[in-house]
Amino acid sequence: MFHSPRNEGDFAAELESHVAMHTEDGIRAGLAPAEARRQALIRLGGVEQTRQAVRERRGLPWLESLLQDIRFGLRMLYKNPAYTTFAVLTLALGIGANSAVFTVAEAALLRSWPAREPERLVKLISTTPQGRSDNFSYPDYLDLSEQSKSLEGILAYSRRGKLLRIGTESQMVLDDVVSPNYFSVIGLDAELGRRFLAESRSGSAPGVVVSESLWRRVFNADPSLVGKQITLTGHSYTVLGIAPPRFHGLQRGIPTDLWIPITAEYHERIPTTTEYHEGDEIAARDFRDFELLGRLRTGAIEAEAQAELDTIGRRLARAYPAVDTARGIAFLSESARLREAAVPTLLLMTAVGLVLLICCGNVAGLVLAHSDARQKEVAMRLALGAKSLRVARQLLTESLLLALLGASLGLLLAAGLLRLQPALLPPEQVALGLDLHLDGSVIAFTAAIAVAAVLVFGLAPAIQISRMNFASALKGEELGAGRGLRRWTMRNALVVGEIALSMVLVTASWFVMSSLLFSRALPLGFDNRRHLIFFDLNPGIAGYDSKRSAIFFQHVEEKVAALQGVRHAALAQRVLLSDSGGGARQRVAIPGVELPQGQPSVSIMYNEVDGSYFQTVGTRLLKGREFTAADNSSSGRVAIVSRTMAERFWPGEEALGRQFLVEGQACQIVGVVEDAKINNVHESPEPYIYFLFAQAPRQYGTLIVDAEGDTRPIVARTLSEIQREDRNVPLDVRTLDYLMQQAFWADQIAAGSVGTLGLLGIFLGAVGLYGVIAYVVNRRSREIGIRIALGAERRNILRLVLGQGLTLAAIGTGIGLIASLMVARLMSSMLYGVTPTDPVAFAGSAALVILVALAASWIPARRAASIDPMQALRTE
Amino acid sequence: MGEKSDVWQGTLALMVLRTLETLGPLHGYGLARRIEQTSGDLLQLNYGTLYPSLLKLEQEGFIRSRWGVSENNRRAKFYELTKAGQRQLKKAAAEWEQTTGILARFLTPAQEG
Repeated sequence: MFHSPRNEGDFAAELESHVAMHTEDGIRAGLAPAEARRQALIRLGGVEQTRQAVRERRGLPWLESLLQDIRFGLRMLYKNPAYTTFAVLTLALGIGANSAVFTVAEAALLRSWPAREPERLVKLISTTPQGRSDNFSYPDYLDLSEQSKSLEGILAYSRRGKLLRIGTESQMVLDDVVSPNYFSVIGLDAELGRRFLAESRSGSAPGVVVSESLWRRVFNADPSLVGKQITLTGHSYTVLGIAPPRFHGLQRGIPTDLWIPITAEYHERIPTTTEYHEGDEIAARDFRDFELLGRLRTGAIEAEAQAELDTIGRRLARAYPAVDTARGIAFLSESARLREAAVPTLLLMTAVGLVLLICCGNVAGLVLAHSDARQKEVAMRLALGAKSLRVARQLLTESLLLALLGASLGLLLAAGLLRLQPALLPPEQVALGLDLHLDGSVIAFTAAIAVAAVLVFGLAPAIQISRMNFASALKGEELGAGRGLRRWTMRNALVVGEIALSMVLVTASWFVMSSLLFSRALPLGFDNRRHLIFFDLNPGIAGYDSKRSAIFFQHVEEKVAALQGVRHAALAQRVLLSDSGGGARQRVAIPGVELPQGQPSVSIMYNEVDGSYFQTVGTRLLKGREFTAADNSSSGRVAIVSRTMAERFWPGEEALGRQFLVEGQACQIVGVVEDAKINNVHESPEPYIYFLFAQAPRQYGTLIVDAEGDTRPIVARTLSEIQREDRNVPLDVRTLDYLMQQAFWADQIAAGSVGTLGLLGIFLGAVGLYGVIAYVVNRRSREIGIRIALGAERRNILRLVLGQGLTLAAIGTGIGLIASLMVARLMSSMLYGVTPTDPVAFAGSAALVILVALAASWIPARRAASIDPMQALRTE
Repeated sequence: MGEKSDVWQGTLALMVLRTLETLGPLHGYGLARRIEQTSGDLLQLNYGTLYPSLLKLEQEGFIRSRWGVSENNRRAKFYELTKAGQRQLKKAAAEWEQTTGILARFLTPAQEG
């Protein structure tokens, strides 16, 4: 066989045989062997020198031509600044924006549990007869952990909030109250897991694990923090450890600052806790405050695990009919969760893919047009004796340079967009954040596709070259008529495809936007145009008992209501649309009303408010009266109920004046108000009870202020008023604006990502169309010049070129319309208040696309119409 | 015997190709000796420069090499002309003839005058 690789060893052997043969000849000629060898080496001019010469020669051709290609490629790119800029920007936008959007979506939707072997973790769900999924109570959790065999461990966690005192200041932190095995089941830090389990079971001083980010943020990464005491909402805890660096808890998007074992939260609490009823709530079967996550035993079969959970669920329902009747237990495995997230994910991936396709189509079109323009140059080089392989390699190098430039700029863009992360996140006063980092695989994938597109299309001219007719190419003629047509059709097809894809993106954006607008316009049951400010006050921490707290609240409310610029002030227990809002329920028995499943009582969400509450937040009273000064702690218990509550339990009858039983006490309904959103904007109305603030003494509450105009001076004045009353009472301020932003965060993210992609899509599509039309005008400038010279009106030329652009746009929009119909059906589960067949959306999107296409064709059309016939005819 | 001449730039490749064409596959040493003999021992090759030239010709695809056994039963690498090499030889030889032809017109004494 013939060798091609000439390696060092091979050459050494060759030299050796050379010297040996020369030496033999010398001996044959009568020289002594040593002398013969010496002569042979002299004639060779030194073994090492020869080797060096060969070595240099070996690497040379490759390097030489590469450098040449790069230099030439850079010069070509530099000489065609418009082409280079468009191609690089298109690539950068496609790669950069796409990676950024995908990264956000991945963090929000796709990422698995932050745990060891996350695929074995399953989320447990308590299913209700109404089909709603719910959390678990602590006793349910204990029963489940004890009875389940297919799960090797189950952890429980519940989101709370606490005030962390550092020196003289307090700040809000988010803590998770967790089962002692929390860290062991997650399994990220085995040592921490064991220690947490042991110490929280020992029941000594209450302990807490601090997140790495809180440790850095607040404790300045103090290495001696472990073992020290910290003060949380007035109680002292020992720091048991620092959580692993990237672990932010199990709730997506809302990082946890502290983890407190259930044992510490509930058993080690100081006397005031009785007032919170927390000792009771942890033992109550209907205090469903815990989310459960189980770890499947290795090799456990999901169906068997489900069967076992069904059995346990039935057992619980039989044992505790009052609270667990008709409830079941289901679990959501990691693969099922991903399937559930599939619709939004699929949608987003589709959008990302579409933008990428448009981007590739654009670059392909550009490269094709550019290579057309270079036919003459390539033909010249071939005629001068360049080998076609060499020319192909040159074109490839050039494409690669382009792709590299585009990809690097894209990466910078993606990193920059993610730097804007805070703007994308839900507003919170505590440090929040999705753990966003550019995912290498996403970038690699996006970049690879874009680069592949450049390379494939960059090579097209090289392939054509082999079939090229030099003579005609050198004369600057089109390739053979048939081939030119095919080429032209290909670019047209690319642009039609791009416009179709933009159409799909625009329609999707239209739907998501109108869904957001619809949600925004939903009646909330309170007036969201008011400048409401919420002051969460906690006199209990400052040592107040409930009697003194009541006086404190009354004083503060009176003083603040009298402030200038304050229209109304009110007291309430819970805040609208806040995370902590709707969790609280009260068991209520209703004499004379048949409750579902024959239960003796029903659990209903409630709030405690004072007489001016409805006036302050703008919830309309439908019937009866509001609370008055005559209702107070010594009078009979009164309540105002929501319309849904009245209609559910007294359908077709008068709810006013009826009574129900709370904690054994009779409570009379004095008014009915409209339904208000409690936890989020999309929930359907549920029964809701407003009790009287003064009749349910608490050591915490919220002062609500309705400000005239600007909230800032009112906040300052109210704060100083509260501090004049007592500066030791911890407080927290939020505005309605802020709560609304928080409530719409998820919708806004969806609208933001799809909308961005839509804009990007239509922009790139327009650039593509512009490129094609400009190219055509360029190519036909001579013909157009002749037409004008022969008397064609410029108006007709304009119409001719615009018509060409519009034809392509119309075909693309038509195809896109059909595709949009299918995509819209896919999206319907994500949309609120929008029908996926809404003709207005389709017509509107189509009109928008056509309009943009018109604008994109307008520029080259204007140029065509202003061609100077003399100039055009002289160019050749 | 007078001064032995060095090989002129660029002519070595032509000599290699020509030698391989007439004699068929040869190893490096044999090739070198053969070139010297053909020149009537007027040329003295620096054998060390032969090998980079062989590599260059091989890289250009004009010759190819393979290991074989020499007449003295020694393992040696044999070089052989390729199709492209034959074409190149024709082209280079023609160019060379033209060059020498032109030079000859300058150098031969005028017939008349």
